[in-house]
Amino acid sequence: MKKMHLTKKKVSEKTMRFIFYFILVCVSFVFLEPIFRIISKTFMTSEDIIDPMVDWVPRSLSLNNLKVAVKVLKLSETLKNSILFSGVLAIAQTFCAALTGFALSRFNFTGKKFWFVMILLCFVVPTSVLMVPRLMMFVTAQEKIGYTLIGTPIPQVLMALLGQGVNSTILILIFQNFFNLIPKSLDEAAMIDGAGSFRVFWHIGMRLSFSTVLVVFLFAFVWNWNETYVTGTLLRSGLQLLPSKLSLFDSEFESVVSSSGSAFKLNEAYKMAATFISIAPLLLLYTFVQKKFIEGIENTGITGE
Amino acid sequence: MKKMKTWKQRQNRSGYLFMLPWIIGFAVFTAFPFIATIALSFTNVNSTILGFEITWAGIENYITAFFKNVEFVPALGGYLKMVIPYTFVIVVVSFIIAYILEHIVKLKGFFRTIYFLPVIIMSGPVMAKLLDTKVSDMQLFAGQSYSDIFIIQMIASYSRKAAVLMTDIFEQLSTILWFTGIPIVLFINGLQKINPSLYEAAKIDSANSWQILWKITLPIIRPIALVITIFTIAQLGMYDINPVYSLIVTYMGNTSGGLGFAATYAWVYTLIVLLLMGAAFLIFKERKSKVKHY
Repeated sequence: MKKMHLTKKKVSEKTMRFIFYFILVCVSFVFLEPIFRIISKTFMTSEDIIDPMVDWVPRSLSLNNLKVAVKVLKLSETLKNSILFSGVLAIAQTFCAALTGFALSRFNFTGKKFWFVMILLCFVVPTSVLMVPRLMMFVTAQEKIGYTLIGTPIPQVLMALLGQGVNSTILILIFQNFFNLIPKSLDEAAMIDGAGSFRVFWHIGMRLSFSTVLVVFLFAFVWNWNETYVTGTLLRSGLQLLPSKLSLFDSEFESVVSSSGSAFKLNEAYKMAATFISIAPLLLLYTFVQKKFIEGIENTGITGE
Repeated sequence: MKKMKTWKQRQNRSGYLFMLPWIIGFAVFTAFPFIATIALSFTNVNSTILGFEITWAGIENYITAFFKNVEFVPALGGYLKMVIPYTFVIVVVSFIIAYILEHIVKLKGFFRTIYFLPVIIMSGPVMAKLLDTKVSDMQLFAGQSYSDIFIIQMIASYSRKAAVLMTDIFEQLSTILWFTGIPIVLFINGLQKINPSLYEAAKIDSANSWQILWKITLPIIRPIALVITIFTIAQLGMYDINPVYSLIVTYMGNTSGGLGFAATYAWVYTLIVLLLMGAAFLIFKERKSKVKHY
């Protein structure tokens, strides 16, 4: 009797596990379907695209789409610009997030709770409500000082450096939680030996947090790469960036094709090839450091400690 | 001789020193613009060669937005119709996935990696291109429509609106699921923190896993669900699937007089977003126990 009960339980556990894996695989497919579609269409010929018989696997592999997309996107230039632009902004954001996170974790200053709530509120307020005055401020400022700001990365670098970049709140929380893990006795020992708070920050906080700095930098890099709203308002076409080039792909395609005098027609394959190129750097990054990204979000501590 | 400072004074000094860059940035680029937008929403802004010319317009912008303009109210309606079901689906689905991931042993990391991937590659232009091809695919492969599914048609015979909503959700399922990357990780993190002895105690009291889910897991996870709901509402607003967002972007581009109007739109929109988050807060708030004490 007891044995029967046990086997029954085992069977139900097995079916349960099967159902679980089945659901997970299905959901994975839905997640990846757009990416698979991008990749499959990237390598299709223009005949395959309009052929309703061809759904996923192209009849013949063609690299033509990629070549055209590289040319239209001006890849060598835009890729370099995008990496530099996102990199600089990410460094600026990481720096400010580290300082702020350290302050929140280490010092008991008056009004700390208030500023913490303000940091959280920054995340909740939609960016679009802030952009009109920001734009007006920079336009007025550039007229006052007689130096062009709109159309250069300066406004965004300034904002990133002062902690108002994309998702700064999350970056600050990651740092704050990491610094909370470093025992305070280390600081105290350093202080007794005569170190000031900046030396404590640099030699204890930053030295121990190399991997956290990396995580925050990667997040900031990826978010700045994908951000197009603030960039579109302040940088405009001052720098040719990959994602903004992608959003203008349709019109760029026409102009490039008509100037070269060939008879290409814009189709899905070209668009998908361009999309593939613009996400490829991020996919590459993700394959190497995916664990770091997930750990980063886990360490924000917004789930309550 | 230097005067010695107290511990508290030193803490204050160092704390504010480290916070200083952020506080300056917050004041200049967030707090001031926020208040300025409210003020600007009552004005007309004209950009001239000499700078911006701001004239007081009273509530004219609001009257135009709500009664004269034909695009704003439908866009707001479209936003609400998008954000409420989407947020609901995202929170529920990400909880289910997290719950399942918590209960399997093999391939856990593999699935998590897949579900987190969209967080890295999701951007406005990529989303726009994907939605774009989806539409053309549907024209090409006509006949495959979710509205033909038997269950959806059954629902449609009761209420057309519910059926339309459901087809909409199924058609956008990939897009919706792409927003679950961070929520899943947060839910898993929250589930892992639940004390296992609570489950053991419940099992000893002969509760089945269904009861455990409703009586232990969900009540404990509620604060995290609130954080995730607010996070999702904030995220959903930032893409082209939000009609109000594209409207504001259009008006921002129109510098010859559109800025005051853009401010009005942005401000009304923000108010609605904050109200939605407030509503989420009320829904997830700890309820006072209804047991009467005699």
